[in-house]
Amino acid sequence: MQSKPSRVELDQIAGHYSLDSAAVGTLLDLSAARPGPGASAQFLSWMLRIGGVLSLAAAVVFFVAANWSEIAVFGRFALLESILVACAAVAFLRPPPSTAGRAALFMAFIVTGALLALFGQTYQTGADVHELFVGWALLGLPLVCIAAWSVASAAWLLVLNTALMLFCGWHPTGGMLWVLLGARRFQPAEIVIGVAWLNLALWFAFETLRLAAVPEWVRRIAISCAFAFGTWAGITAIFESQARALVLPALAVAMIAVAFQTLRRRKDIYPLAVVMGSFIIISLVWFGKVSKFDGEGVFLLLALWLIGTSTVAGRVLTVTSRRWRQQGAA
Amino acid sequence: MIAPDTATLLEAMRSRGLIAADAPPPPIDAEHRPWFVSLMLGFAGWLAGIFLLVFIAALLDLHSRTAIFVAGVVLLGGAWALYHANRNAAFLGQLALALSIAGQIAIGWALLEDVGSGLAIAATLLAMQLAVLVVMPDKTARTIAALFAVIAWIYTVRFALRPDWEDLILFRGDIEAARFGIGSVAIGWLITWAPLIALSRWLTLREHVWMAHPLRVFARPALAGALLGLSIGGIATEPFTTLALGFDAMGVDMSWLALFPLLSIALAMWAAWCAFHVRNYGLSGFAAFASLLHLSRFYYLYGASLTWKSLIMLCLGAGLLGVGVLLQKRAASAGGAP
Repeated sequence: MQSKPSRVELDQIAGHYSLDSAAVGTLLDLSAARPGPGASAQFLSWMLRIGGVLSLAAAVVFFVAANWSEIAVFGRFALLESILVACAAVAFLRPPPSTAGRAALFMAFIVTGALLALFGQTYQTGADVHELFVGWALLGLPLVCIAAWSVASAAWLLVLNTALMLFCGWHPTGGMLWVLLGARRFQPAEIVIGVAWLNLALWFAFETLRLAAVPEWVRRIAISCAFAFGTWAGITAIFESQARALVLPALAVAMIAVAFQTLRRRKDIYPLAVVMGSFIIISLVWFGKVSKFDGEGVFLLLALWLIGTSTVAGRVLTVTSRRWRQQGAA
Repeated sequence: MIAPDTATLLEAMRSRGLIAADAPPPPIDAEHRPWFVSLMLGFAGWLAGIFLLVFIAALLDLHSRTAIFVAGVVLLGGAWALYHANRNAAFLGQLALALSIAGQIAIGWALLEDVGSGLAIAATLLAMQLAVLVVMPDKTARTIAALFAVIAWIYTVRFALRPDWEDLILFRGDIEAARFGIGSVAIGWLITWAPLIALSRWLTLREHVWMAHPLRVFARPALAGALLGLSIGGIATEPFTTLALGFDAMGVDMSWLALFPLLSIALAMWAAWCAFHVRNYGLSGFAAFASLLHLSRFYYLYGASLTWKSLIMLCLGAGLLGVGVLLQKRAASAGGAP
């Protein structure tokens, strides 16, 4: 039994049977490979509505960033808070899963961040930028949960990871979070791998709970963020021997755990691809460091290593993906 | 409509008389790869190609342009031979991709080392990428070549209309380009993108036509390359591409030129629309990501105050939302709503 045909397979069928254009049209229609007029209109409407909501959200952020001095402090806060109240009212009257309710809650989430930025801008709180984003992620979480919408979930993940990226990339010179996780107690790479595990924990939770608000593409963002931080930590650990004892085992466990979960689920091969990509990058950097780029032969070895590892990874992923598709169809 | 599996699909085609009842089944697909696997392989092959070229240049002590050119031709020939030798051997395919990339860089290096004209560089690279697209018998190699060809096309038009000085090609050239006025920028934008929009539209709507033709092996990568270029390439056709962070960007007059990032968003949304029609979710996601990237650039780029930008986004948001809701209602009244 074969699975739902891909574009490559449809090309092969068209070529193998020398189909004419009318027959190919029928082939595409039978395989539901091209949208009908209804689906096209629906997608266009969806795309415009998403674009509209994002544009309105951007308008609010731009306005706050403009720091318009002609409006008094009270007026600025009143303006943003009235938008927040309006969003809440719309969400109350048209609660999710209605599109209006979801969009209103998404707007409220964005306005929450703008409000925090305005607060910091107006009163010069001295807070670091990552603290603004952490506050935004925490305060916005209830709104995102109520919205139960994939776009809002993705936005929340991006805000959280922006906070974590700023936190990890910032010099440990103070700030609320660095007091708790100061560099005197932890190496920077150890904190980065901790952040990777935080994303992994979210990914495992999403995988287990299978929430409609966190579909596959949002879970892919979570696992991508996890291994972006994991790769960062792994590369840092290669150059900083003090961090190696904790970071490399933690990264190896993360890779094994994700591979195990992915192979157990047999649904989406993407997490395994991310693990393999991370391994290829880290091993390449390690190879370069060990060789110290001593002699031109190193470049040949690096090229062959890259070709070899990517070939094996590509082969494993392609074959496994095809097998799962076939089994899924059966 | 639920998509059937391949066997059911072939049976349906047979029952309609479109496939002969006794025709043998198509060969088992060994090449279908998810988009992220293709991305990983393409990037790895590209990087490996650079390593290979460094190795060969150092080993053979290549200094003269002729020697580098000959090495490039040999590398490209080797890649072509490897692709033909065994199309199903994954390692050979990946090695061929690396050789191909190394060969292209070597030839480009040999031909363009002393060339100071941006137009000559971009036009030469465009010709080379089109040649690779035609010659290399591999989908990944062709897709990469199509993307690079689109990028080269963008710069060919840009340098043809707004010649830059040699040292301004990549960085301050955009600020200098503002001297040429909105007419030049707008004409350049249209000349650059109108053919690519038309091409992507034709390839998307007439997919059933080119799929029935042997040229499909070029059309599929060309479509992918065009959509990738449409998603991200708008940056290179904007008058201001330097972020408003450096002192050299200060003092640029406010003008309608500031709206060009919004056109880049429109291009990316068009690419998402086309990708949806060929069910390519990887390309759709990339186009959505590119739209957000253009939006964040609009925030930082000079050309208008943030208050104006806020007002523009407010009007744009209201307009998009209004049209979107209207379309939704129309689809619902036509019975096409979910």
